[in-house]
Amino acid sequence: MTGSGKPSGGILEWLAIRNAVEKLGAQRVWSDALSWTRFTGSLALALLVLLCLTGVFMAFNYTPVPGTAYDSVDFAQFSLPFGGLIRGVHHYAWNLLLMVMGLHLARALVVAGYQPPRELTWISGLLIMLFIPVFIITGDLLPWDQKGFWSTQVRTSIMGSVPVAGDWMVRLLQGGPRTGIVALTRFYVLHLLVLPGTLLLLVGLHFHFVAHRGVSEPLFSTRERRQVSLFPTMVNRWLLLLLIITVALGAVAYLWPVPLGDPADPTDSNYIPKPEWWVLFLNQLVAIFRGPLMVLGTAVIPGALAAGLMVLPFIDRGPERHPLRRKAMLTVIAAIGLVLLVLSIMGYLEHYGPPPA
Amino acid sequence: MDENREAATGGQRYTDRRGFLKTVVLAGTTLATAGIPLAAYFVSPALEKGGGRWVDFGAVADLNDGETAMLSFEYMVKDGWQVLPQRGFVWARRGPGEAVKVMSSTCTHLACNVIWKPERQVFECPCHTGIYDAEGRPISGPPARPLAVLEHKIEDGKLQVYLTA
Repeated sequence: MTGSGKPSGGILEWLAIRNAVEKLGAQRVWSDALSWTRFTGSLALALLVLLCLTGVFMAFNYTPVPGTAYDSVDFAQFSLPFGGLIRGVHHYAWNLLLMVMGLHLARALVVAGYQPPRELTWISGLLIMLFIPVFIITGDLLPWDQKGFWSTQVRTSIMGSVPVAGDWMVRLLQGGPRTGIVALTRFYVLHLLVLPGTLLLLVGLHFHFVAHRGVSEPLFSTRERRQVSLFPTMVNRWLLLLLIITVALGAVAYLWPVPLGDPADPTDSNYIPKPEWWVLFLNQLVAIFRGPLMVLGTAVIPGALAAGLMVLPFIDRGPERHPLRRKAMLTVIAAIGLVLLVLSIMGYLEHYGPPPA
Repeated sequence: MDENREAATGGQRYTDRRGFLKTVVLAGTTLATAGIPLAAYFVSPALEKGGGRWVDFGAVADLNDGETAMLSFEYMVKDGWQVLPQRGFVWARRGPGEAVKVMSSTCTHLACNVIWKPERQVFECPCHTGIYDAEGRPISGPPARPLAVLEHKIEDGKLQVYLTA
């Protein structure tokens, strides 16, 4: 099947997809939709595909039962061919996905990609970003190792400290007061069934708006924009990206195998869960605001940040897109970004730096 | 001509509205019929109360006067469809005299386990360096509330502590 030639008719007619195929074959997209200056969205999609693939195959050797869960992950990682590699790619893929989504967001902020008519592209993208941590939180518990178990204790405790709804949210999420077999089953079903379904919907929505509102015009390029066919030109470009990232993550997972910690032990008070890099700023916020002010760090400030990003397209409506002509907006964004970076560094030093003398 | 069109669209709208109302009623009824049992099924495990019990920690005489001791416990709890040992520990301090104070090991900040540091006579939470004094009052770090004091009684020289969840 080629994109340029006419579909032969016979089999497509028989499958009743001739119209759809012809429409798809005629689809043209801007050449810079996936290029050296714009690739974070395509890369994020490639990573999601990889996460989905590795995740489905990991599920073939997993049982969501405390204790046994650990044994199943241990078996898959160390006794099955490519087991360590598959888990490693899954692990590195979500870490990279967070970074890539951060870049994707930063780019849209700098070049004002959120401005009308792309408000809904922006909002659907934000929803995806806010959604990914739920994946991480539910996935972290699944190996039933020390890190996952104790991180879950800290997270549910933070969630539980939110006034009024907090305790309820935790109980509903865990299916009771403790992190046991009911909680693990819930996390498992959320991670493998409910969340992927919802994510598919959100990604579909994002692409719907990208397709209908287009990608933002390049700001810095003087070359004339041209269009290429979606299939095969753009699809091939993306497949090449997928291939490269698959090999790269495979190599990383091979060279730096993802460790599997000790089995979860709820009595082991010596285990100190360290917050992961992407959550250090939140952890620091939680540590800064104490007592009655704690809700500021756990709910108010993160909520305000998310809400601020959501309404951004309705505040900065354009038409000025060039960063140098949006100095006020970019100063605010840079200041917030700097605060988050400083909080992250403080958190890093506290949890990973040399112990205080 | 215009009147005709109006009448036509008006009539069209009327039948559309009937059809739409039917859809709403049917979908709503289906949603409620299926939704109530499904929601109850999902929510009910969350409603289960932890419940409490008296746990025997052995002879009070084993505790040295003026010292803070880690007392480990293990009892069976029902977790959904599984009965599992629940393990953990509490901190008990004896003295002066016969007085005993039993404190939860759960940090009031984010529920990490606090550890007694005998050389400095403080409880320390390893997660965010919260410090409590020997009586469980917060001194420094994020915690704002003191460690929970657990109800206890002494029967036949044995220390019994009431543990929840």
